Amino acid sequence: MADLDSLMKLDGAEAAFKFSPSGELIEHKLADGSSLNESALDLLSHVCVANMSIATMQARGWENMTGMQGFYPIEGFTMVGFDWTAVANGEYGVVIPNDKVDYEKAYAALA
Amino acid sequence: MIKRLMALDGVMAVCHFRDDGMLVEGYGMPQQEMLAGLAKFAHDYKRMVQGNADQLAMFTQVNGWTPPGGWVVRGPKTAVCSVGNVVCVIDNNGSSLNEIMQQLTEASRW
Amino acid sequence: MTIINELAGINGVIAAGEYSYRGDRFSYQGQLDEEKARMASIMCRATTMAVHMQTDMMKSLNADCGCAPSRGWVVRGAQFSVCVIANVFCFIDNNATSLNEIIKLMRDKVPNQDAQLV
Repeated sequence: MADLDSLMKLDGAEAAFKFSPSGELIEHKLADGSSLNESALDLLSHVCVANMSIATMQARGWENMTGMQGFYPIEGFTMVGFDWTAVANGEYGVVIPNDKVDYEKAYAALA
Repeated sequence: MIKRLMALDGVMAVCHFRDDGMLVEGYGMPQQEMLAGLAKFAHDYKRMVQGNADQLAMFTQVNGWTPPGGWVVRGPKTAVCSVGNVVCVIDNNGSSLNEIMQQLTEASRW
Repeated sequence: MTIINELAGINGVIAAGEYSYRGDRFSYQGQLDEEKARMASIMCRATTMAVHMQTDMMKSLNADCGCAPSRGWVVRGAQFSVCVIANVFCFIDNNATSLNEIIKLMRDKVPNQDAQLV
């Protein structure tokens, strides 16, 4: 089960956050000196929820049409930004700089 | 031409944008940058809705979704609605969404 | 060797391909038929457009902190994941390949998309 403290222990973690199914930021933690803030994480939460929802529509449509199972249910969404990456899974997310991100460890910590 | 949309009840701002998202003309906001921002948002949102409509048509195999005619995003007090390359911001109280969508549809053909 | 060839040759990669931002062409290699690859390119393009808009909007709302311009995205499914950097997509089996290696290769070799997505 993910929690903010264990997410903040990921190498390079800038921020960890929890969001509601509709995308509202519920709680968050920021690394010392991080340039992120609560309002940025709130927007990011909505981005993650929106894309997981669209991905779910795509997975359902894809599996119905092709018979190729394995995408549904969508577990996570990652946004690779120019400098940092946000990895979200379920109702938690973590932000890590691109040069330090370990996607597999992040998803394991978010599981 | 789109300036006449400002005469409709509840219309707060209106703008016309090019296919690349650049502002052609706009009214109802104090700064040109705000109108340019509305134009870019409407352009980007239009592309996103088009992408989603394309997928809906692809997955449902039902005609009638594409090409999308327009979109409305409705908040508690304000809504943004767009048809073609014309977008407007409206006050939900005192405006008729039906009338505005009809007028937007006509304006998008000008 | 192109990035598509390189990705398609990796164990655990189901298919890799490329789409135009205008949506008028695509190419691919791997274990998908032409119709599935066409659908995959439509889906990936739509999500790329949405993510690009979202990151631009975050930047314009002063919540940037390094997100824009977007480089790409990953959707993780129960068994498979879809990885996209710019206009290159890659479908992978989660249990048969390393997401880290795939994304690193794509980030290193796929150039940044230009702002107009053309």
